[in-house]
Amino acid sequence: MILANYIVSFILIALGLVVLCTKKNLIKVVLGLGIMDYGVNLLIVSAGFNEGGTAPIYSLSDLLNGVSPTFFVDPVPQALTLTSIVIGACVDAMALAIVIMIKKRYGTIDADELRRLRG
Amino acid sequence: MIQHFPVLAVMILFLGAFLIEIIGRNDTVRNLIAFVAVTGSLILLAALIGPVMLEGQIISYWMGGWAPVANYAIGIGYEVDALGLLFALLGITAYWLSCVYSFGYMKGREHLSHYYTLFLMLAGASIGFFLTGDLFNMFIMMEIVTFSAVALTASNTEKLTAIEGAFKYLINCSIGSAMSLTGIALIYLECHTLNLAQLSAMLPGSLSMTAVMAFALLLSGFCVESAMIPFHASFVDAHTVAPSSVSMILSGMVLKIGVYGLIRCCYIVFRLIDTAQLQILLTALGSLTMFIGVTMALAQHDFKRLLAFHSVSQLGYIIAAAGLCTSLGLTGSLFHAINHTLFKGLLFLCAGAVIHSTGTSDLDSLGGLSKRMPVTCCCFLIGAFSISGLPPFNGFVSKWMIYQAAYTKALETGNFYYVIVTVTALVVSVMTLASFVKVLHSVFFGQLRSVHSQAEEAPKIMLVPMVIMSVLCVFTGVFYKGFSKLFIGPAVYSAFGNTSYIDSMMGKGYSELFGVRALSPDALSFSCWNPYIWLVLFIIVFAAAALVLFVNTDSFGRTLEKGMSYPSVYGTGDMNRDFLGNTHVEGDPSEKYAVFFSGEKAEYSHAGGSDLFWGFKYNWHKYYSLLQGLHSGSVNDYCCYAVMCIAAITVFMFIFIR
Repeated sequence: MILANYIVSFILIALGLVVLCTKKNLIKVVLGLGIMDYGVNLLIVSAGFNEGGTAPIYSLSDLLNGVSPTFFVDPVPQALTLTSIVIGACVDAMALAIVIMIKKRYGTIDADELRRLRG
Repeated sequence: MIQHFPVLAVMILFLGAFLIEIIGRNDTVRNLIAFVAVTGSLILLAALIGPVMLEGQIISYWMGGWAPVANYAIGIGYEVDALGLLFALLGITAYWLSCVYSFGYMKGREHLSHYYTLFLMLAGASIGFFLTGDLFNMFIMMEIVTFSAVALTASNTEKLTAIEGAFKYLINCSIGSAMSLTGIALIYLECHTLNLAQLSAMLPGSLSMTAVMAFALLLSGFCVESAMIPFHASFVDAHTVAPSSVSMILSGMVLKIGVYGLIRCCYIVFRLIDTAQLQILLTALGSLTMFIGVTMALAQHDFKRLLAFHSVSQLGYIIAAAGLCTSLGLTGSLFHAINHTLFKGLLFLCAGAVIHSTGTSDLDSLGGLSKRMPVTCCCFLIGAFSISGLPPFNGFVSKWMIYQAAYTKALETGNFYYVIVTVTALVVSVMTLASFVKVLHSVFFGQLRSVHSQAEEAPKIMLVPMVIMSVLCVFTGVFYKGFSKLFIGPAVYSAFGNTSYIDSMMGKGYSELFGVRALSPDALSFSCWNPYIWLVLFIIVFAAAALVLFVNTDSFGRTLEKGMSYPSVYGTGDMNRDFLGNTHVEGDPSEKYAVFFSGEKAEYSHAGGSDLFWGFKYNWHKYYSLLQGLHSGSVNDYCCYAVMCIAAITVFMFIFIR
């Protein structure tokens, strides 16, 4: 059921935002970022889904032998999702690396104590 | 041949980035690669000025030759119209100058090859963002910009807080790009294409609920990128702590990504800008941003943080003017975007030069540097005059266009609201000037601190970009007519729904298929103030000042020496705090301000305190305590504001735009 995908993806995005707004632990903040990304990825990959469609993989010989590629899922969103997963992983890795540096320099990973730049 | 230039201009930067990582151990080789890459890209883009700006061509290029099939774009395309090229040229100029400045400023730091790799990636990604014709490609470029900007910010080993600024910046930008990506997914759901030209043919006109939602999310994503209120706080933090050569890029260039996305999105792709409610939303956001930005800047005590808040304020001007949807408004907006890059870049470079020679950016512990650093002081003066909109510098021309456009809009629509926008813009400009008077007084004039009595002028390689930028500031201000006719006019035309943008990408007649009609720009006019007479006046005043300076052989002011006694305001001590919470480090804080209380103790004196605008701040202390409380520094709070604002924008769109 494709509608469930859309609902769940928006729930995931909202959950991610809630985590970003409420959790004080920086690692949890980064996790919230991840959850938000997964929600978006689910949304994109659902956008290309066709019920009953086949995988969008055809070789040249298939096409020459008269297999007609009429009904398959949209390959573009899958490519987009892969890219966006990679980017999401990079963001998470980078954010966690920065959290490690914060722990080294500030001695804490509490968002309330990470407030030297303000006003 | 020429259609390969945009791609090459981006590729050469990325190639340079990888080459530096591989063979850039040696200082000379590394600097050479970086310089060649940036210069090559600059030349390639400059070669496009002729065909795109003058002849009005639109250059389209399909990656790997994947041209559209059956009127559907299937590949990734690069499409360069005048609007994109304008921003790309602006960007590469800023990168070129920053790269040259870095040779001097970053010299002797560790891990420089990583610095230049990230720098070139940042450059390549932002140029790619301006030139690409694919929505998803725009998102990817935005993410690369975020990565490299965050890493460059965190790389500043001289500031302990750099890592904190980088983290907040990353989280905030990620919210923005996640929102944009959601919008992109919804657009794909609606149109099954991501090509900008095809979208701008298919989308406008009848928008479904999905498309409205997508528009709201894309708009909020770009608002995050352009540091609108309330998304600005973490950007300010990052600009404060990044190395100055990077601050210049972050503030001058990276914020323009949001501006470009916003203009592209509102004017071309969705063509919703002629909706009155959207105009009100954008101008309201812009006016609020410029006001809060400048009032917060008045209360700052860190050189770079002050400049960063001014950036936010100037971005408010750009967005407000772009939201007016008149040709003069958009001209003013684009002109101000260019000027902002020039003068804000210049000011950050000056701040960098001051930090380079004194080692501090705290306004309260600087003073009297004009004698030690005359060139920096002159450049800073030009930048400060430009940003505060004094004629004949460039800020004046663009601000004048913006006032005129906003006021004309008020007359045309009869809406009193636009009068308020005009007045806000004027008042903010005055407050900008006031704030820079404070900076000039604190840093360059007044008495030289004994700690900095041996401060040296910055090395020549750092002065070259500063001087070039000052010259450009004056040049664009004086020759604004030719400049706006050559660069900004074509960009404004292409923004107002040039159907050839669609046709050149998707094949002739494609726009007629969907019945696309261009927004009607009123006849383009660049007429405003005549700056020449002001230039003459300025030359006379400067000549008089120079004469006095050279004839009078006595040195100005006094150099502080140990043992001299000054009236004490706060008593002695290393660390004092007044009731506004301003800290004063290093010796007696009253030295610089003694002149304002004529020797009285501060508690008996009316004027004074640690600030020129003490009285102003005191009268506004409720406003300031509220705002400074809101800029709490907590990453959760900033996320909260962002989420609330995004929700508000989405609800607004659903109510008003159908």
